[in-house]
Amino acid sequence: MDIQLSSEDLAFREEVIQFFQDNEMKGGEDYFAWRLGWFAKAREKGGWDVPKWPTEFGGPGWSPTQHYIWEQETAKVNTPFDLPFGLSMLAPILMGYGNKEQQDRFLPDIRDRKVNWCQGYSETGAGSDLANLKTKAELSEDGTYYTVNGSKIWTTVAHMADWIFCLTRTDDTGIKQKGITFLLFPMKQEGVEVRPIITLGGSHTVNTVHFTDVKVPVENRVGEEGQGWTYAKGLLQHERTGLAGLSRSIVALEKLKESARSVVRGNGNLMDDPGYKAKVAELEIDLMASEFTELRSLASAASGAAPGPESSILKLKGTEIQQRIQMLTVEAGGIYSAAWGAKPMGPSFARGGMAGYLSSRAYTIYGGASEVQRDVIAKNVLGLKRAK
Amino acid sequence: MNFELTEEQRMIQESVERFVNENYDLDSRVALSGKDPGFSTDYWQTMAELGWLGLPFSEEDGGFGGNQIDVLVVMEQFGRGLVLEPYLASVVMGGGAVKLGGSEALKQEILTGVIDGTRQLAFAYAEQQSRFDLDDVVTSAKKDGENFVINGQKSMVLSAETANQIVVSARTSGGQMDQNGITLFLIDADADGVALENFPTVDGLRASEITLTNVSVSAARVIGDIDQGFSVLQSVANDAMLALSAEAVGAMEMLYKDTVAYTQEREQFDHAISEFQVVQHRMVDMFMEYEQCKSLLYRATMEAVQNPAGAQRTIHALMHLVGKNGIFIGENAVQLHGGMGMTEELRLGHYFKRMLVIDSMFGNADFHLQKFAA
Repeated sequence: MDIQLSSEDLAFREEVIQFFQDNEMKGGEDYFAWRLGWFAKAREKGGWDVPKWPTEFGGPGWSPTQHYIWEQETAKVNTPFDLPFGLSMLAPILMGYGNKEQQDRFLPDIRDRKVNWCQGYSETGAGSDLANLKTKAELSEDGTYYTVNGSKIWTTVAHMADWIFCLTRTDDTGIKQKGITFLLFPMKQEGVEVRPIITLGGSHTVNTVHFTDVKVPVENRVGEEGQGWTYAKGLLQHERTGLAGLSRSIVALEKLKESARSVVRGNGNLMDDPGYKAKVAELEIDLMASEFTELRSLASAASGAAPGPESSILKLKGTEIQQRIQMLTVEAGGIYSAAWGAKPMGPSFARGGMAGYLSSRAYTIYGGASEVQRDVIAKNVLGLKRAK
Repeated sequence: MNFELTEEQRMIQESVERFVNENYDLDSRVALSGKDPGFSTDYWQTMAELGWLGLPFSEEDGGFGGNQIDVLVVMEQFGRGLVLEPYLASVVMGGGAVKLGGSEALKQEILTGVIDGTRQLAFAYAEQQSRFDLDDVVTSAKKDGENFVINGQKSMVLSAETANQIVVSARTSGGQMDQNGITLFLIDADADGVALENFPTVDGLRASEITLTNVSVSAARVIGDIDQGFSVLQSVANDAMLALSAEAVGAMEMLYKDTVAYTQEREQFDHAISEFQVVQHRMVDMFMEYEQCKSLLYRATMEAVQNPAGAQRTIHALMHLVGKNGIFIGENAVQLHGGMGMTEELRLGHYFKRMLVIDSMFGNADFHLQKFAA
């Protein structure tokens, strides 16, 4: 056992830190120009713009330790805004199950951050029970296109997306996991209607999307008809492991302590309050343990072994930690956490604290609710029969 | 960065695992625990022959040059069997103190016997009033020519009943809570003025209250520097906490796995109770808390080996999590076993009792949380 980084890994970390320093946004620079420039520079480094992509698709081919270092360092700095839908969710499916034409057609625009994607999975009757989805896709008689009818819900950034990857039902005669087909189509077309949902944090990120006779050419189907569930399941696993966000939580925890120290209490500050201090300490300890759970899972991945049982708990632990940080931020804000709206009131950290906390309640719901995660662990790790 | 054991460590792990599987079924343990000396002297000799007692000692001291990771490997397996032999008291604590603070002469005299199993040590750090504070020492040691004379009382001294020598913390100067002024002495268990009151502990081990009345000990038997024994005391306690945590992790694994197995056998309402989601989710939580303890155990142990100065805080974190999660897992194991969980017939209750004792020995979850946050 050894927790020291090798000299190669240390050199890599220096290189990453240097890259971030060299490409910081300068005052007065246009954000969007800087963002695209940043990714172009990252690409010149040898695939740093797509860290998780395999080398045959232009990725850097990092070791798990290098990925870990990258995550740690990106959490500490301002890297350009990025969305996971095309880059981390659709791309692996196209690489695994898409044909060459589809890969050539879609992957370059994803990589260049030119096309924004959204994910059409959940429906009103298909949340945790995703396979229950009903959005219908009917193949035309000549076999050249599908006609899609139905609706999706909780579709993140659908209102800004150019394209959607969408699970549709092409067969409802067998078991519900069969008969699901994976389609790609543009959002800006007749028959696609996006309606906003405003969530508790007051923001608009999710939507309902309604499809009325949307025509999708058959060449936009990924893989086989009726096999979409298999493809999506692999992707869900991908999505879940990426949701722990531990590196960001480490940075957020430091910020939280700083905020709490700025709250004056008597001769001291909020971090002198035994109750508050104990909650922060418990959180930090859970985070320290989770960090090593992640490292253990990375190490077993590096040795080529299947992910060990420890990797299954990261989404559950990681999202819970994020929520606790948000809650402690609200507590630190005290009476000012109640202030709402655009007018800034109270200490700076209190602004947006409540909104952040409220939004964070979704973390244990999306990407497989915590209850579903526990079902999965019970079945896959503890070897139990599916629960009643 | 890697979490692999070395080839040697893997071999030790396998051999300890085999020893535990072959010898430590519940009935044998209960029988051993119930009659004097409370463990098997044959097993103790076997452990010496297999080299386990010499693992954390340097080669020049006659050991195998291992470190806390080797002890982790042994203790985790011991935890799976609730092993009774005084490994923690004699090798990790008593032997650890001599290793860290003993003079060359003292090491030569004492460690050979510790390693070959002919000599047992105990470690007396606690007192009635001290609760979990290592620096709260009232027992006094006064200089008397070439000797020191010790008076006082030591509490809950693990495995003292069978020890040949006992490492005792005593105050040579300073106030009751001062870290400066604590000195460690190696006293003979049969020296004049040493009185032991022996008793069993709830987890089937043995401990003693020790009264020291005008016990005379040579200055040559001071461990560490006079007045400066606290750093050795803290280092030994740290190694002991790592060892206890490894034992706890082994016990937690048994607790959650036994529960998963039992709930698949036990039928109620025409179903194995493991098919109920409320039961499944509870067991998933037990599994997760076990894995989190294991992660933090690795972290703290590797830090202790590679960066001892920075490891203190992580050890407090570990002891907090092990104390809290050990009891969480134990309580839920009993709960999910229903009435059977309340009996002495199943081993889980014995593991649970061990978790409760581990949470009390060097400070409970709350104590370590406060230390961590300080």
